[in-house]
Amino acid sequence: MMFFLEKKDLPELLRRASAFFEIIAPVLVNEEPQLVSWRGEDLALRAPNPLLPPTRLFLPPRETLFTYLQESGLYTFQVPQVKERLIVGVRPCDLRALSLLDRIMLSEPADELYSKRRRSTAIIALNCTEPSEGCFCAQMGAGPEADEGFDLLLTDLGDQYLLETGSPEGIMLTRVSEELLESGTDAERVLMRKMDLMREIRDRIMNARPWLSHDRMRSRLREINWKSLSKECISCGGCSFVCPTCHCFTIADLGLPDGERIRCADSCILSGFHRMASGANPKANPEDRLLSWYMEKLEYMLSRAGISGCVGCGRCGRVCFSGLHKTDLFR
Amino acid sequence: MVMALDAIETTCVYCGCGCGIYLHVDNNRVNAVTPSLKPPARGRLCAKGWLLPDFVGHPDRLREPMMRKGDRYVQTSWSEALSFIAKSLAEIKRDSGPDALAVLTSAKATNEENYLLMKLGRAALGTNNIDNVARLCHAPTLFALGASLGSGSMTNPIESLLHSDVIMIIGSNTTEQHPAVALHIMEARRNGAKIIVVDPRRTQIAEIADLHLQIRPGTDIALLNAILNIVIREGMIDEDFIRSRTDGFDAVRDRIAEYTPEAAERICGVPAERIHDAAVMYGSAGTAAIVYAMGITQHAHGTDNVQAIANLALATGNLGRDGAGIYPLRGHHNVQGACDMGALPDYYTGYQRVSEFREKFEAAWNVELPESHGRTAVEIMGSAGSEIRGMYISGENPALSYPNGSRIRKALESLDLLVVADIFPTETTRMADVVLPIASFAEKYGTVTSTERKVQLIRKAIDPPGSALPEWIVAAKLLEIFGIPAGYDSSADVMREIAALTPSYGGITHERLERGGIHWPCPTETHPGTPVLYRDGFPRGRALFRHVDQRRCEKEMFTLIIGRSQYHFHTGSMTRRVCILEREVPEAFVDINPEDAAALGIRNGTGVILESGSGTIRARARLSDSVNSGTLFMPFHFRESPANMLTGWQLDPHSKVPALKITSVSIRREGA
Repeated sequence: MMFFLEKKDLPELLRRASAFFEIIAPVLVNEEPQLVSWRGEDLALRAPNPLLPPTRLFLPPRETLFTYLQESGLYTFQVPQVKERLIVGVRPCDLRALSLLDRIMLSEPADELYSKRRRSTAIIALNCTEPSEGCFCAQMGAGPEADEGFDLLLTDLGDQYLLETGSPEGIMLTRVSEELLESGTDAERVLMRKMDLMREIRDRIMNARPWLSHDRMRSRLREINWKSLSKECISCGGCSFVCPTCHCFTIADLGLPDGERIRCADSCILSGFHRMASGANPKANPEDRLLSWYMEKLEYMLSRAGISGCVGCGRCGRVCFSGLHKTDLFR
Repeated sequence: MVMALDAIETTCVYCGCGCGIYLHVDNNRVNAVTPSLKPPARGRLCAKGWLLPDFVGHPDRLREPMMRKGDRYVQTSWSEALSFIAKSLAEIKRDSGPDALAVLTSAKATNEENYLLMKLGRAALGTNNIDNVARLCHAPTLFALGASLGSGSMTNPIESLLHSDVIMIIGSNTTEQHPAVALHIMEARRNGAKIIVVDPRRTQIAEIADLHLQIRPGTDIALLNAILNIVIREGMIDEDFIRSRTDGFDAVRDRIAEYTPEAAERICGVPAERIHDAAVMYGSAGTAAIVYAMGITQHAHGTDNVQAIANLALATGNLGRDGAGIYPLRGHHNVQGACDMGALPDYYTGYQRVSEFREKFEAAWNVELPESHGRTAVEIMGSAGSEIRGMYISGENPALSYPNGSRIRKALESLDLLVVADIFPTETTRMADVVLPIASFAEKYGTVTSTERKVQLIRKAIDPPGSALPEWIVAAKLLEIFGIPAGYDSSADVMREIAALTPSYGGITHERLERGGIHWPCPTETHPGTPVLYRDGFPRGRALFRHVDQRRCEKEMFTLIIGRSQYHFHTGSMTRRVCILEREVPEAFVDINPEDAAALGIRNGTGVILESGSGTIRARARLSDSVNSGTLFMPFHFRESPANMLTGWQLDPHSKVPALKITSVSIRREGA
């Protein structure tokens, strides 16, 4: 189904949805876009994508798996509650990352908390009309237009939003805001307008790096001088912590006799990630870890899940200390 | 407090870079950190920063005040704990005089907290025995740059390094210890700046440097003097600058001639031509910066080391301009602020001398203030159990971080009253009579001052655990008990009092800081702050040269350098509770040159025994050619292998900094 929504009416649509969901949306906090619980602030849908990807709402960088309490030698466990949430403004790159995570985290045995959060979260995606300088989703085939994985999809047509439904839950959401929505009378003309707009954005992204492609990256991987590049890598792990497809974690029990089992985001950029119990480390050198990070993104995730591990969001480049994560590597 | 998802901008708690971060909070727990895009780090963080959430919500956090009853600690209430503390302090003061008490404030606490603890020590307890961890790091900077230039702090902001043609880094493992500074150095290098690194260790920044002078530990003055000598001899000095803005150059020029590159080579172990190359590189640069850290200051001649740096910068006119300057890198997020707030025995806030400004503070606080000469941190420890009987330690762990650990432990044990306020149990809280639970940086409002003199806000993101309190509230309550009015409603109130008493902070308010940090000096509310010092002159009129001589270096079998590792911070009370950081560096290591190791039958991973005049410890050897033969390196984070059991109490005569960087040790294979 397809509707038009006046831009000024989007907050009202969200207010109505907040009867069912906690609304999570990008807003500016001290001038920088952040995903937070929305309380009516101005939405920052045209700002650059927040650094913390929305995928981290399903697999938080640090979460309690359960708390344990010991009484007279017997343990009782408590599992955290999962909230019903609606995330607004998820861009196609992050949506693609989420599809990839689904294939990994929901394959048997499915990750219980991820699965619970996934089922209790609705998504209003946003076709990307504001790509940042470092974006290359088009080259990775992940954007700028979303094709699946959303409940509702917004496209900024300038004067108003085009709103498309992608699931029964999305249709339900349009029902509670029916009078805010205007049905498209001439579906074909509207779709043409959207197609033109998205083609223009896609061209803009492609023209910024016409030489870049997934195949190009894969074939260049082995030719790059990782050793000299890695001299400036401080192994901070930042690229993993903001990558929407990174999902490695470590688990620790904190506290005795009572405490909690936590799960926290880990990074294969860190040396200890690879160290074996004997102390031997097959990836003791940062150049090996950098290469394996890219191999994981460009080769292994693709062969394991059928989706490339790089969605072209450019976040790794935005946080890289030594400036080595950049598409120019593959030029 | 916050049940929903939120993102709160604040300032990182670790080193002095002052990186802006967002704490992502869900259901009153911090579950992620992302960098702020503002300067200095502009969207970057180190691993410690990325992994901050893990310690904030750790179940080990101190939650309730505790008092020692025999061998055990029992939980108590704040009112009981504070009245016990006040009563005990008053008793000691009555029996042995106010100078039997001492306060060590925290470089991890806010400016407001440091100020009130300073006020507590002086106005309520009546002693100038107040100090902070700067005594173990940049006290020589305070002394030498203060005397020579007028202000003992970084002359330029970090971003200024982007305008440098040459950056000389001395005794700083910048990539690992001050990543946001390294970020700028690496960016400057990509834009064509030349990098010189002077360090006995081949650090990561040395790997990418144009020149690495791997000197023998403790020979910095010989090297810096030789560089200055070449600069003078080859006419690379800035004569206009020297004539119009400095005093004392002629005396230096006359005496420095003996420091030829060849003489320096014999002392430093660096080839004379490399010293010459470095001198030409630095001397011929349009704008040149000198970045330094603990490798310069933690010596028995730390003050002279800093002076040698100042001499070089003055002679080449590299001050008061973008890209030039002297950059002492501060190691804690508010160690600059702790000093600014007068947590020093000889200064009130803003470096107003006790000897000159006592009456001003007496009038402001309406109380008589002590004239007596206050003791410095290590001196306080040295007289613990004799002249010093009661101590309040805020957020510090001297049992691991101070030199000669066994002597420190004995000193702390011999006190009649030891109060320790902290966020986690530490080796030092274990010796306390009263332990106070304090709110961490994520749980309170306040300001901190970074290494670049930038005052920034920290903002409350979550509630503190249990009944833990921000320390400014604790200090205010104690002040009230001692009859000093302290009706502050917020830390912003405290800042108003600081601003009224401190010219360099005169225009700083929390309201202004909401819009971003301000570099002091900022004397009025309309003043924009001062990122670059000395543009139009030196506060003392003319800057001062002072000739310094290299001390004789004894030839030791092994010289141990102690420091920090990349993944841990200080005594590890925070980072060792972060599971990923603990995995990265789970235990102490001793870097030893492979040749030395082979001669002693030591292999990679072998257990080794280190012995010095102060003590003996065990650690694991790590073969590394990052150190030359005869030099060892070891981090001091680990209570299982406390490196500070080995260090001694030799103090710099001017600044009283202990010589932590050089310890003569023997090393042998365990069981040999």
